[in-house]
Amino acid sequence: MSDDTITPTRPPAVPATTPPAAQSPAPRRRVLQRDGAWPWLFVSPLAAGIAVFFVWPVLQTAYYSFTTWGVFGGSTFTGLANYARLVVDPQLWTALGNTLVYTGIVLLGVPLAVWLASLLNTPGLRFASFYRVLFFLPYVAMPTAIAMVWRIIFNGDFGVLNYLLGRVGIEGPYWISTPGAANVAVALVGLWSSLGFAMIILGAGLKSVPPELYEAAELDGATPWRQFRSVTVPLLTPSIFFVLIITIISSFQLFDLQFAILGSQNPVLPKSLSLVYFFYQQGFIANDKGYAAAIAMFIFVLIGLVTLLQFRLQKKWVQS
Amino acid sequence: MTDRAAQVRSAAVLSDPQTLSTTPAALVEAATPQEARREGAPRSGGPARARRASSGRPGRRGRSHVVPHLVLGVGGFLMAFPFLWQIIMSLSTNAEVQSVTPNLWPAELQWQNYVAVFERLPFLDQLRTSVVVTLVRTVAQIVLCTLAGYAFARMRFRGSGVLLAVILSILMVPSQVYLISQYQIVQNLGWLDTIAGIVAPGLFSAFGTFLMRTAFLALPAELEEAARLDGANPFQVFSRVMLPLAVPSISVLAITTVLWSWNELLWPLVVSTYSDRMPLSAGLATLIGDKTTDYPVVMAASLLAMAPVLIAFIVLQRRVIDGLAHSGLK
Amino acid sequence: MSRPSSAPRRGVRRGLSVVSAAVGVALVAAGCSSAGGPAAAADYEAAPSDLSASITYGVWDQAQVAAIDANLEGFAELYPDIDVSVNVTPYADYFTKLQTQASSDSLPDLFWLNGPNFQLYASNGKIEPVTGAVEAGDIDTGDYPEALVDLYSLDDVQYGVPKDMDTIGVWVNEALFEQAGVPLPEADWTWDDFQETAATISEALASEGAYGGAGGMDGQTTYYDTIFQAGGEVVADDGTASGYGTPEAEEGLQFWTDLIASGGSPSIQQLTDTPADQWFTSGKLAMYWGGSWLNAAVSDSPVSATTDVLPLPAGEEQATVIHGVSNVVAASSENKQAAQALQVYLASEEAQQQQGDLGAVIPAFTGTQQGFVDSAPDRDLQVFLDAVDYAVPLPVSKNAAAWNALENADLPGAFSGDEPVAEVASSLGERMTALLEKE
Repeated sequence: MSDDTITPTRPPAVPATTPPAAQSPAPRRRVLQRDGAWPWLFVSPLAAGIAVFFVWPVLQTAYYSFTTWGVFGGSTFTGLANYARLVVDPQLWTALGNTLVYTGIVLLGVPLAVWLASLLNTPGLRFASFYRVLFFLPYVAMPTAIAMVWRIIFNGDFGVLNYLLGRVGIEGPYWISTPGAANVAVALVGLWSSLGFAMIILGAGLKSVPPELYEAAELDGATPWRQFRSVTVPLLTPSIFFVLIITIISSFQLFDLQFAILGSQNPVLPKSLSLVYFFYQQGFIANDKGYAAAIAMFIFVLIGLVTLLQFRLQKKWVQS
Repeated sequence: MTDRAAQVRSAAVLSDPQTLSTTPAALVEAATPQEARREGAPRSGGPARARRASSGRPGRRGRSHVVPHLVLGVGGFLMAFPFLWQIIMSLSTNAEVQSVTPNLWPAELQWQNYVAVFERLPFLDQLRTSVVVTLVRTVAQIVLCTLAGYAFARMRFRGSGVLLAVILSILMVPSQVYLISQYQIVQNLGWLDTIAGIVAPGLFSAFGTFLMRTAFLALPAELEEAARLDGANPFQVFSRVMLPLAVPSISVLAITTVLWSWNELLWPLVVSTYSDRMPLSAGLATLIGDKTTDYPVVMAASLLAMAPVLIAFIVLQRRVIDGLAHSGLK
Repeated sequence: MSRPSSAPRRGVRRGLSVVSAAVGVALVAAGCSSAGGPAAAADYEAAPSDLSASITYGVWDQAQVAAIDANLEGFAELYPDIDVSVNVTPYADYFTKLQTQASSDSLPDLFWLNGPNFQLYASNGKIEPVTGAVEAGDIDTGDYPEALVDLYSLDDVQYGVPKDMDTIGVWVNEALFEQAGVPLPEADWTWDDFQETAATISEALASEGAYGGAGGMDGQTTYYDTIFQAGGEVVADDGTASGYGTPEAEEGLQFWTDLIASGGSPSIQQLTDTPADQWFTSGKLAMYWGGSWLNAAVSDSPVSATTDVLPLPAGEEQATVIHGVSNVVAASSENKQAAQALQVYLASEEAQQQQGDLGAVIPAFTGTQQGFVDSAPDRDLQVFLDAVDYAVPLPVSKNAAAWNALENADLPGAFSGDEPVAEVASSLGERMTALLEKE
């Protein structure tokens, strides 16, 4: 193995939305340019499916956002009326705030998952597989039934959580019926169910850190914490980035959990609903489908911007 | 530190007699340390490296296992607690479950709740539907997302950036938004109440594309170049060289797709009318009534529905987890 | 080599998007055309007994499937070649799915509708009137409670008849009365009697965490009844205005505020966490304003042996809310005759008697309800049947869900005493009227 191969022509390490052209040096460029129609053949099955099942709905949604749409059809063009109404609708901003709060709390699970994954990785740990299955259980659960169990746990008068809090001298709130607490309750369940998956991804990332690096760091006299900070975490950043993106995207889609845990008749809903719940409420309950379409476009743009932002920021902190 | 560590690493690799017997691909990878450290990418291959890599820390330090066991034990208990409760609920009577003061243990174990599940639901039919839907989706997603992911990662073509952004954005929108539109499309295709209809929109995944793209980006380019120079066309490069290396990421994609597909509720519920053509998740939901619900039976059904996937995970986890950390090569 | 050869690819993609756009336009056009007024009654003809068809029947209650299957057996004897497939959709998703199906005219041939959703489908021409069957004498609207029959007619067109009914009464737990040392109320009790009893029992049983009465956000069992009893209305002026802004409605609401304030009921928060019926079946509530549907749950619960039923305490007048589900035929059904045949059969005395005997619900057909009363002879279930005499139908409109959401948002503040009832009521009334006018 000559030294030539050790200084690699670095592939585009940073998953970016910009075409690979930005990164590769000359030799690769020549190879890739010969691809011709191949890229399109590779992408076309996915693109075709999306064109049929998603492009049309997106266009339809966009169109309806500019109309007042009758319950079962029949639309009248109303221009920007829905958007004008949306921007000043306090519920939109409440919903956005609730979604952000939920996302924030669930994101706390990422460092937690890093820690737990590293513990799970302790060499020679017995029962490691057993622990792994336990942590993965929530991810496997059927959401509706589990939400029922959580409702019971969170019950203000008779639930286990408040019982335990009471033993420690804290008077627990009515989790499901108090606006702020309801958000926390739902977020806790979101955190609970997503931890296992994050641990698996991060665990894999951890395992791929070559032990030699730790050896080298040890030779340099680094403490375990220092090793963690300077060896583990930097090399883990691609995994962390991945988990962050997935967590943020799915947090913005919060709906089922609220529906199942809080219930659709819950008085706290106007103050605690998420963006998607707001959409559902306007679209299927208030039957104002044009307005709901405008909300959908808002969500669409928002998620797109957030993801774009993440990709841009990624260059700064994700290790190449 | 990076370069020096790399050299130390390479030296260690090369001096270890066991690694000399590993595959050439693994050696190439040993020589390109940084890129190989992408998440999801195949890791150093070969049994010796596997053993080394599975220890997150050098084992000689002999750290105490008390803290890990304590934390993981408590954490694991918290994770499993609702399921334990579910099991208890499934063996109680409805009155015991509904009683506001929780019953920690039923007066009598009501095993008939599990029998009731089979009486009230065409369980086996729905199980079959769930399995078929999940399999079709998983296979389709693997095929579509690896192809597209590879193209986005490794191929240059005009508009790939824009296309990727559009695809990701479209697929990131919550599915409720598309419900009515997609329903009409599926109906116009005549796919209502069919496996095709249930499966259709879920075949296309932003997550999957993103994951596979990340995975392919992390693979060394030299292999590709070598194959191309050998005269392989891009598809052969893809299928013979790159795809095998990406197996760990494909495993992750498979797990996530299986789980998501198994538990998906709203779409199958809306698209299927006949209860023996619904998947389990939808069938389970039909047990939940308007004013009265037989909670123990719902819990029993939920546990039964969860069981196949859980068992599959337990059996495969070693393979999956280890596969995630090492290369897919033998 | 690379650029030019990607052009054909792009062309194909463009072609694809043109196609999907064209498909889309067609869909929009189809969608646009289905809006409109109520469906005209097609010519009705009783189905011949050898009619062969395959129809779907959409329902939401798994618990009633046994009774439905029994009905279908009887139906099969009359129409052996009509194949009926029962589709259960959970209630929580039933109307989401129904709307989706209605938007593309793929509704089940026969399906359940309830009061709050009925007018939406009727006014948009999605369901078929039953006038043909009525005129032919196959259905007699006089066989069912009048208030319920009115619930399923819009603009003097009848779209269906009720298949079951429920009314509201007070479930009492005699054991708790004994424990609190309070005598059982009489059947002709008044609001004041109720308030007093509830407060007394709550005080007596406070150490056990039990209450005398319970409020809550379920209008059908609580505040609608008191509003009617105070002489008010919820939806007034033939559906164009809200009844909330009136003193009578305020009185009806104030009832519950007083109950909570006196300690006679758990707080609204407690009731959101744990619904009132659960308090009752767990033996922590002495008097529960509840529907006849609770019977099965009560029989399964530990309080079964000591439960009885009383009529609602009377306010200015006596009133109770009556409601029931109806079977309706989809206007877009391709098997209308078969579906109507099933509709007629399910409304017949025979089928209704079967429903009553199997005990899942109270059938709407007058005279078939004895089975319900007999199912628990220790309780005075006859109260629920007698209540039909003074029953008022559940308040509904074309988009009831919209103003139901307003009620859910505003009323908790009034009941908990955080805001004055009069203010909440009038503000609610105004906004609800605005919604009703938009319909």
